[in-house]
Amino acid sequence: MMCSDREVQLSEYVDGTLGVEARALVEAHLAQCAGCREAVAELRALLAGAAALPKSIEPGRDLWAPITARIVQRATWNVQRAFWRGALAVAATLVVGFALYHLLPSSTAHDRREGRGWVAVQADYARATDDLAAALATERDRLEPATLALLERNLGVIDAAIRESRDALARDPENIELRALFAAAARQKVELLRWATRAAT
Amino acid sequence: MQADPSDLVQRAQQGDQAAFEALYRAHVGRVYALCLRLTADPVRAEELTQDAFVRAWERLASFRGESAFSSWLYRLTVNVVFLGQRASRRRALRVFTTDDPAALERPSDGSGTGAHLDLERAIAALPPGARQVFVLHDVEGYRHHEIAELTGIAVGTSKAQLFRARRLLREALSR
Repeated sequence: MMCSDREVQLSEYVDGTLGVEARALVEAHLAQCAGCREAVAELRALLAGAAALPKSIEPGRDLWAPITARIVQRATWNVQRAFWRGALAVAATLVVGFALYHLLPSSTAHDRREGRGWVAVQADYARATDDLAAALATERDRLEPATLALLERNLGVIDAAIRESRDALARDPENIELRALFAAAARQKVELLRWATRAAT
Repeated sequence: MQADPSDLVQRAQQGDQAAFEALYRAHVGRVYALCLRLTADPVRAEELTQDAFVRAWERLASFRGESAFSSWLYRLTVNVVFLGQRASRRRALRVFTTDDPAALERPSDGSGTGAHLDLERAIAALPPGARQVFVLHDVEGYRHHEIAELTGIAVGTSKAQLFRARRLLREALSR
């Protein structure tokens, strides 16, 4: 029977994690305590047995089929989700833009064009895309390669649309249709980035 | 002829499912053994093995080759087991019957001796915390600070669980 207060020390002795002094004290104790010597022998046998256990155990059935089904299902789901979110965002933006253009009194529309509202809208989009792009940059590795490639292709298309709208607005700053186009593209980018950060986390 | 593992990983990273299947075939036994020993539940171990490979597929892009693919995969598996454990605490607890060790009797290399099976049964019967630390430390070779990082417990707790597991195993095996 080992000394009950030596349990931790003997375990660490067997692991080889004791300092020089503590190790010498344990060895001095072992020289005179048969119970602790026996416990050390049992511990060594246990560790040898644990290290010798088979590293591989085959599951009772082949798990590849359910794994591949889940991989395919998730990829399809991710692409579908991205497509429908993008499509809905474009549709919503077009509806809002159309309503604003046709329903607002001309003076109000003029005030919005000339006033701080448009500047604030652009700043909001810029802030949202910057925040989301920064969040995505830290988590992008979590996306599967095919999804990441699709995301980058779509972002490239949207960025090109934003650039073209901006260039056109620089030439004709008061054109409300150009503003609606810019807003639609910016909104689509925010939605896509929002989806990607959610999918990656 | 066997494919080069790094070539398989690269192909899988580019979306090649056949390459990923080859990686699955090469590692499933080790991943399942790890899940089974950590959970002592063959059904749960199969679910977690699937989860681990689905997660590995999703995260392949984050594998940079700084360590062996096998080390990366086994660490990811341990993470999946402990994430699943936290989630399942919110669900009903499964009951494991230690008199059903059939799943532990299928070592793929045919090396399941009587002593191995006694030890497997004794490990499976340990309390969960002690069992998990024993498997990670004494079977898989992780250090206490790595176990703490992987499982979210303190280093001191990991040590205490290991000493407890060793005491319980010595008692069980000497009966």
